[in-house]
Amino acid sequence: MLSPLRRIVGIVGIAVVATLGITACSAGSSDSSSSGGKSVVVDSSFDLKTADPNREYETTGSIVAKALYETLLTFKGDDVTKPIDGLASYEMNADNTVMTLTMADGHVFSDGSPVTVDDAVFSLQRVQGIKGNPSFLLEGITVAKTSDTTLTLTSATPNPALPYILPNPALGVVNKKVVEENGGTATDADGAEAYLNGASAGSGPYMLESFDVASQVVFTKNPKYTGDAPAYDRVVLRNVQGPTQKLNIQAGESQVALDLNPDQVAEVGSSDVTVLSSPSRYMIFLLLNQDPSVSAITSNPDFLKAVKAGIDYNKIVDLAGDGSVQPGGFIPSLFVGAIDASDGNQHDAAAAKAALASSGYKGEDVTLNFPNDITVQGLSLQSVAESVQAQLKEVGINIVLAPAPVATELDAYRGGKETVGLWYWGPDFPDPSNYLAFTPGELVGLRAGWAAGADSTVTDLANAAKAAVSTDERQSAYAALQKAQNASGPFVPLLQPAQNVVTSKSITAVSLNPVWTIDLAGIK
Amino acid sequence: MSQTTAPAQPDVLAVAARRRMRFPVALRNPLAITGTAIIVIWLLLALLAPMISPADPLAQDFDRLQPPSAAHLFGTDQLGRDVLSRVLDGARVSIILPLLLVVSSLFVGTIAGSIAGYFGKVADEVIMRIADLVFAFPTIILAMVIAASLGPSLTNAVIAMLIVSWPAYARVTRSLVVVASRSEYVVAGRLLGNSPLTSLGKDILPNIIAPVVVLATLDVGTAILLLAGLSFLGLGAVPPTPDWGAMVSDGVQNFSSWWISVFPGLAILTVVLAFNFLGDALRDGLDPRTADAVKGRAL
Repeated sequence: MLSPLRRIVGIVGIAVVATLGITACSAGSSDSSSSGGKSVVVDSSFDLKTADPNREYETTGSIVAKALYETLLTFKGDDVTKPIDGLASYEMNADNTVMTLTMADGHVFSDGSPVTVDDAVFSLQRVQGIKGNPSFLLEGITVAKTSDTTLTLTSATPNPALPYILPNPALGVVNKKVVEENGGTATDADGAEAYLNGASAGSGPYMLESFDVASQVVFTKNPKYTGDAPAYDRVVLRNVQGPTQKLNIQAGESQVALDLNPDQVAEVGSSDVTVLSSPSRYMIFLLLNQDPSVSAITSNPDFLKAVKAGIDYNKIVDLAGDGSVQPGGFIPSLFVGAIDASDGNQHDAAAAKAALASSGYKGEDVTLNFPNDITVQGLSLQSVAESVQAQLKEVGINIVLAPAPVATELDAYRGGKETVGLWYWGPDFPDPSNYLAFTPGELVGLRAGWAAGADSTVTDLANAAKAAVSTDERQSAYAALQKAQNASGPFVPLLQPAQNVVTSKSITAVSLNPVWTIDLAGIK
Repeated sequence: MSQTTAPAQPDVLAVAARRRMRFPVALRNPLAITGTAIIVIWLLLALLAPMISPADPLAQDFDRLQPPSAAHLFGTDQLGRDVLSRVLDGARVSIILPLLLVVSSLFVGTIAGSIAGYFGKVADEVIMRIADLVFAFPTIILAMVIAASLGPSLTNAVIAMLIVSWPAYARVTRSLVVVASRSEYVVAGRLLGNSPLTSLGKDILPNIIAPVVVLATLDVGTAILLLAGLSFLGLGAVPPTPDWGAMVSDGVQNFSSWWISVFPGLAILTVVLAFNFLGDALRDGLDPRTADAVKGRAL
């Protein structure tokens, strides 16, 4: 009695499986070899929220905005020490308060209309007006149109970082007419986000074909793009987690994988793929609280010296894999003002023991707090913490690890309550002024119990660095600041983990950058 | 076993003695023998770990991520520690703590259940409603919430596990005590002037403890898994303490270095299986419905 029913169920089951199989195959083939020209699949672990350039401030959002929109200034390749002309050229006045931008001729939006100064002013004012995540980039800046080809950005205080801020994809120029037609304004009443999540209104190398924050974003070539045409007509940016990215790239399912951790990179055979490892923009550091009411031990200058000399920096760099480096100071090696690792803290066990002896430390337990549920470029902070603990034990410092979820631990960190903390800092824009936060009385300084006036040498050098105008002056001023911080400050810069990009052999070039991770148009 | 110390209640002691006699009988089951052997081996390894470990379980002295070899039988982990030494040392945390935990939940649960079952009324209502409250949550979720709010440490993980595991014992004990306290020998004891404490301790508990012990034996496996689970989630053992659950979690970052998580995983598997074998055998041996069959085969 049951057998006919069973047979029907069986047939239906086979049919379903067959259909799924066919669908899967067709989906797979359309991803890797599109009918309308060459296409490329890029795997990335998404933190995507929006395709509206003036609202995004996420890693994936920057990749998307960079492909769809152009900015007034930009960087060439991965060199973030020198801003170059984008949609405009710039001039700074002598005291770094007024920047005059002159629009370049010839750029057009994907609908064919020219990019004008009005579009640029509207876009920057929109970033400020909608009060989204990237609005702070233009805080305290007045944007004004001064002629048919020029605009000025004026700030009350000198802002030498501005040329380094403008290349951020969040400041991409949108087509004012199109955005306004779709509810866009330069105020928080702006309603164009939904439109911009369905279509792009920019002058970038690609146009938006489809957009899904959870699964994938598809780009097609912008035929009106005035720069060098991208090598691929179509780019599929998919949301895939690290371990699967590794399998996909090995199987040829994808051509570029952005989120492999150092160990996964070491595991993929270099015969099948190309691995590009370079230092990332993140800086992992240790802070030792200088507030005696938090800890009498860590606020002791000799103990501080012992910790700085007791850590074996090379071991930590080894742990983080190829491409990672020890930053000389708190400014990552990629930026203006960075100093070489040889000018930074050095491992010296004998010096550490001597400093420890004069600090009066008697082997008390010192708590090291760190978030145990986050990774920086695939490297878990827990591994770094365990490594630091083992190294300091060798010179006689007893560290007790106190891991906690980041949501719990962040309060203690921000409130300056941690005795020893292990955290990382990602810059908002590639300029050393970002790192003035690591000085007494400033944001991160206070988190280490380093109150204003606690270290006048460092404060004076920080003020000098802030006042420096030319690139050379800034380079030397920030170098001096970091050396002073290394000598007496509470921060121990440990590591810049690597940014690993793995590509299949068919890809001959990718264009990486610390600000927007990857320029999809630069994949060749 | 002496049967002549309390002539007033010969049948009581006879029953108790007969039940106690079944423990060794139950242990003659081949599965029970295997289980017991594995447990004994693991306990010995745990006790002797500092002496037999090839390396310091905390020392990051070796090359990272080395596959198993003659120098490192279980390979090395992402920080260059010897996995074999960590598995051996981890036994001290991952077996002994759950054992202590089960003993303490047995203790707490049995006392709570006895009070509820023997005295009834308000005591019963209060204790059993608290137990119901705990039962209403999924065990692992409740343990996670408690462990997370107390902060990650082994002590806190054990407290969290104790809170979620005592009600099972309380419930079983209560129902057994309710039945046993109405038995004639208990009533007779009370009439002879036994205090409630004596009645519970001497007449009732010895007769009901066997099923509770079986439950506890079966529970050791669950407790090991629960502690490993909490440590896996970062809510149990604090690094660098070697703990099997935390070691499995370390391997998640390095899928291809299979040895980091496979060996502690196998350790968890063998111990949990062993306790389940033993628990099953004890249950079969002590359950009146299956006892005779077991006895017949074993004898």
